[in-house]
Order: sequence, then C-alpha cells, then structure tokens
Amino acid sequence: MSAVPVPYFLVLAAVLFLIGAGGFLLRRNLLVLLMSIELMLNAVNLTLVAFNRLHPQSHGGQIFAFFVVAVAAAEAAVGLAIVLSFFRLRNTVRADEANTLKN
Amino acid sequence: MLTAYAMVGVFFIVAIGFVVGALLLGRLIRPNRMYPEKLQTYECGEEPVGPAWFNFNPRFYIVALIYIIFDVEIAFIYPVARVFRSWVNQGLGWFAFVEIFSFIAVLLVGLAYVWLKGDLDWIRAIKGDPRGAQGVSARARAAAEPAPMDEAA
Amino acid sequence: MSSFLVALAPLLVVGLGGLLLMLGEAFAHRERGGSGPSADLAIGSFVTLAAGAVVAFSLWLVGPENLGGAAGVAPFLIIDRFTLFFDIVLCVGGALAALLAGGYLPEHKLDRGEFYPLLIFSTLGAMVLASAGDLLSLFIGLETMSLGVYALVGFRRGSARSAEGAVKYFLLGSFAAALLLYGGAMLYGATGHTDLAGIGAALRGGTLTGADYGLAIVAMVLVLAGLAFKVSAVPFHMWTPDAYEGAPTPATSFMAVAVKSAAFATLLRVLVSAFGDPASMSWGTGWPPVVALLAVMTMTVANLVAGRQESVKRMLAYSSIAHAGYLLVAVVALMTQPGIAQGSILFYLLAYTVSTAGAFGALILCGSRGKEAVSYEDLAGIGHRHPVAAAAFALFLLSLTGVPPTAGFFAKLYVVRAAIGGGFLPLAILLLLNSVVAAYYYLRVLVYMYMREPAPGAPVAAPMRSGYVTAALLICAAGVMLLGLWPTRSLELAIDAALAAR
Repeated sequence: MSAVPVPYFLVLAAVLFLIGAGGFLLRRNLLVLLMSIELMLNAVNLTLVAFNRLHPQSHGGQIFAFFVVAVAAAEAAVGLAIVLSFFRLRNTVRADEANTLKN
Repeated sequence: MLTAYAMVGVFFIVAIGFVVGALLLGRLIRPNRMYPEKLQTYECGEEPVGPAWFNFNPRFYIVALIYIIFDVEIAFIYPVARVFRSWVNQGLGWFAFVEIFSFIAVLLVGLAYVWLKGDLDWIRAIKGDPRGAQGVSARARAAAEPAPMDEAA
Repeated sequence: MSSFLVALAPLLVVGLGGLLLMLGEAFAHRERGGSGPSADLAIGSFVTLAAGAVVAFSLWLVGPENLGGAAGVAPFLIIDRFTLFFDIVLCVGGALAALLAGGYLPEHKLDRGEFYPLLIFSTLGAMVLASAGDLLSLFIGLETMSLGVYALVGFRRGSARSAEGAVKYFLLGSFAAALLLYGGAMLYGATGHTDLAGIGAALRGGTLTGADYGLAIVAMVLVLAGLAFKVSAVPFHMWTPDAYEGAPTPATSFMAVAVKSAAFATLLRVLVSAFGDPASMSWGTGWPPVVALLAVMTMTVANLVAGRQESVKRMLAYSSIAHAGYLLVAVVALMTQPGIAQGSILFYLLAYTVSTAGAFGALILCGSRGKEAVSYEDLAGIGHRHPVAAAAFALFLLSLTGVPPTAGFFAKLYVVRAAIGGGFLPLAILLLLNSVVAAYYYLRVLVYMYMREPAPGAPVAAPMRSGYVTAALLICAAGVMLLGLWPTRSLELAIDAALAAR
C-alpha cells in the first residue's frame, strides 16, 4: 500500500499556516486571534512531522512536535487568562477597542 | 496510491451509512406517541430549571486550564516508559528513574501550588466577598456573577 | 555521569530556587489566610538570582572547556564562556528587577507573591535561550521566558492599561513565535537537522539541492522576523511602548534588560552558527543587508518618536528600541569582524543592563502610592525633593546618552569602532547622529529635574523611600562607574566570551 506523498502534507500545512496568519491579521475578535495562533502552531506541527518522513534517520521532527503541543497548551492557558482579565476590565473582546495606550 | 485513498473513502461511506441507516431504521420501527414530559430536556429525572443558556461558573474554566496543562505534560512520560527497558539493559535504569521522577516532582510542585492557593476548591472564600464566606452554592454564585465566557464566545 | 549537573549548575540553582520560593510563597499564603506576602520573597529572589550569577562566574573561572559534563548536554544546551557571560548578565538583570519589585510592589499595593516566581522562571527561560544550541531548546527557552513576561505585564489586574499591554504583547509575541517556529520547521526540512551547528554545516557543505536551498532562505527570513520581534527592531516594535508602559515598572526593567539581552544572545548564536556560512554572511546573498536595514530603521524611527513622548516611561521604552538599533549595527559588523563585533555587543549589553535597570529604578523612586511619576512634568523639581533619586537618574541617563566616563560611553565607542573597522562607516555615522538626537530627550529629563518647578496647584508626585530600590540603584551605579572607569578588563572578558561562541 503506497502512502500519501510528503509534499501533500507540506502544502496542506502551508495552507493552514496562511489561514492562521490571515485570520490573525484580518480578524478583530481576540478569541479568534488566539485560535489563529493555535492553527499556525498546528500547521508547524504538521510540517515537522511530514519533514520527519524525509529524514527518517532520527525522530527529531516528531519530538519537536511533541514539545510544540505542550508549549501551545501553556500558551493558550496564559493567553486565555490575559484575554479574560482584559474582558473583565473593558467588557469587550474586540482588538480594535484596545486603544487606551495610544499616544 | 489510489487504493490508499479508496480505503479512506470506503471507511467514510460505511461510517456515514451506518449512522444514517440506524436512525432511519429506528424511525421506521418505533412507535411515535409524544406527550409534554417526553419532549423535555433530559436531566436525569430532574425537573429542568431555568433556561439552558446560563452563565457558567468561571471555576470550570480555571479547572479546565489547570487540567489541560497537566494533561499535556503526561505525554512526555509515555516515551520514557517506551524506552525504559532498554535503558535498564544499558545500566542506566536509575538514571532514567531519577530523571522522570524529577520531572514528575516539578509537576507536583505546580499541583501543590494551585492546591495551596485554593484554585482547586470549588467554593472559595474570597476575601471581602461575604457571599463566598457564607458558602453559597456554586450555581447561585454563577448566576450572581456575570461570567464572561459565553458572551465572549 | 553526574558531571552534567555541574555544567548545568547555574540553571539548576535558579530553577530549584524558583521552585522553593514558589512553594514557600504558597505555604505562607495559606498560613496568613491570603494576605500579602512581602519582602522575604524579594530577598529570596535576589539571593537565588545572585547565586546563579556567582555559580556562572565560578564556572567561568574553572573554564567551561574543563567541564566534562558540558559535552553531555550539547547540542541542546551549549555551555561555553558565551553562555556563562549571558547567564551572569541575565541573572544580574533579574536580581535587580527583584530588588526593584521589593520596593515597588508594596508601595503600589500590588504585593502579590506570584510576581517573584514568574520573574525567576522567566530568567531561567532567558538563560536557556542564551545557551540554546538547538531549535528545540531555543523554542522552549523563548516560550518559558515569554510566558512569564506576558503574565508580568498583565500583573496590575485592576488596570486596563496593564491588561491591554499584556494582550498586545501576548498576541504579537506568540504570532512572532509561530513565525520563528515555522522557519525552524523549514530549516529542519531543508537540512535534516534541528541543531544550529548541524544546520550551519549543511548550509556550508553546499550539498543542498536548489529547492532545499530556497526553503532555507525562506526559513532565514521567517527566523529573522521572529527574532527581530523579540529584540523589538522596527518595524516589529509596535508592542514595545504599550507593553512597557502597561507593565509594573520592575517588570518593564526586566523586559528592557533581560529579555532583550537573551534575544540578542540567541540572535548572535543563530546568525553565527546556523547562518554563518560564507553565502549567508555575504552582503549580496545573505542576511547582512536585511539586518543593516533593520538597524537603520530602528535607530532613526525610535529616536525620532522618543523625542515626542510626554511619558518618561514611554520615552525609556523607545530608548530601549533605539539601543537595539545600535546593537544591530554591531550585528552587521559580524560579517567582517566577528570577534570584535561580538565582544562589543556583549560589553554593550552589560553596560546597557546596569544603566537601564538603574534608570527604571530611579523612576520608581520619583513617585509613590497614588501618584506614579510618569510624565516629564511629574519629575519637575525632583532634584530638590529627592536629591538621591535625581542624582542617580542623571547618572544613568548620562550613561544611556554615552557621556564619558560612564559605561555607556565605552559601550558606544566599541560598537562604533567595530562598525568602522568592519567597513560600515555610513552606519557608524548614522549611529553617532542618532546619539545626538537621543541626547535631546535624555537631557530633557535632567532639565525638568533640576531647572523646573512643578506648576502651582498641580498634583505633585511625592518621592518614595525604599531600601530595596536604593540598594539596586547603588549596584547599578557601581556597575556604571566601574565599566566606565575600567572598561578594558570587562571588554577583554566580553571578547573572551565572544570568541568562545565559534
């Protein structure tokens, strides 16, 4: 049984990454921005695991992906907490209303 | 190449077909006698109280955050379990043992921290918050305090 | 087998100290029924971080090449003089921030114990980042450092500005981390290595296919963008003033000092070991023109905008961006003069650490509960109301300006010398011009402190007194004067450290 070729995964990952980056730059809801970042990190994971198949001599890519998942969880926790405290004070989750610090 | 995709396709068709088939079959053979109690939201025999859309207690969210971090860390213990036997054979058993236990010890410090700080208590006495001190139930407090998560989502 | 514990001693001391403090704080919190902690934590953190610096310095004296264990942790963590130098700088930066916090937090009713463990673990992350020789440890160090700092920025829970600064910093920071990571994944795909030395060897070997080489170039751009964000180079600086202004001042000091130093450490390592091949280091086909452009934009924009600020804290934020620009000039000079340029960067970071931490400390002393000193107006007449704070502030600002005989003067001198020696005369001239512009806004603070009186009827920021902050100021002042009066010895140490990172 033949496998799906590696470039397919890479293209999928690149598309996911671009969707994440596009969402980050275009959307205004802080929670959507958090999700976009998670999407970008997961695209990175897919890239790493796919590349690992091209370099089968070690499991560097897969191990890397493990750590990225763990760090992404911690990042999401801190990010949600920060967004929550922002919401508590400003009663909004819209990024363009974060403007009290403009000079 | 194509056969690999074909297997995925067959899997999808069977999975979807099974669900649709079961539902259809049920609809065809079951008797259909409705009365108001039967149409209510099922809450384990309890009478449903209030609307289904209410603010969740923010404690849910904090516990979920703590859970997800510990959950992910567990993933690092599996690879060690996998290679432990071969490390023992190399005479590095104690080394691996100490290493993984120092990892777990650091996690335990984190657990002890949230415990001592009271972040695991379901009902927490907040300083200067008489409702908390009187031990008001979680549901009542959730109703009183606006919890941000629903509206935010 | 346990000799690697010796090689990792600075990291272990800081990490274990942080864990103990964290537990101690939690138990104390329990006993006191949730009332504010105190000063013990500031002292504990200071001692922990100072111990980290001392241990790093003793490893330096022993010589990391004599440590058997150093090879055992390579390539994930590289223990050489470069790492140890940064360990010392970062621990000093963190220890100073702990002292500042010991005075600042109780004064402003922010006295919650979480601050100190966060500070220590951030410092630990910064140390890992500075010693990282693999993309994996680089990423973990970067995130450990950043996650702590995000939380520190949002530490004033009642302040909308603090929350907003934290939101901006967090979002842009994690976006940049994702870019860096994607670049790292591409590098892994192109070369098959995640360790910087392996990537460098693959690029140098010239065995890469055309497609792989293209991938490596894209990766280089992404990695540079991610790191430029962390050193807050223009145009990736948008978060800096907001995060710096929103954060409690000790945290601002930590960000300006330790976060920036660690980011430069890893930038140097990445550029030298991973992208150190002749093609990547040449003006035509590599990173130097990109970094030069960043340097020019960073210096110019930051100085022009800094001059227009009305808040001193924001002015210091832009000034920290400008200093990143000066450092980037030296990074460009790596191309032709690797040893001298790197030595000058290390010396600059040391001088910048003591000057900047001191400046923020002096700013803390100028205000007190209810009225923090933030604007220039708040500083009017401080020269008479709090002569000690004013004198210290003046000293640190002169050092940041680059007036002899302070540390800042020699730091700038060495960077300019490296730039001219490396054949980048235009960059050196631009750096000097920018320093002149910068002198305007630094000296403006002195004018307000000594020659203006507060407007009648305006609320006056009453200066505060704190042994902790004063101690931090004394340490910084001693550092500024030592580096200013006897710079050669420390420069030799810096160059030693730089040469180790080959």
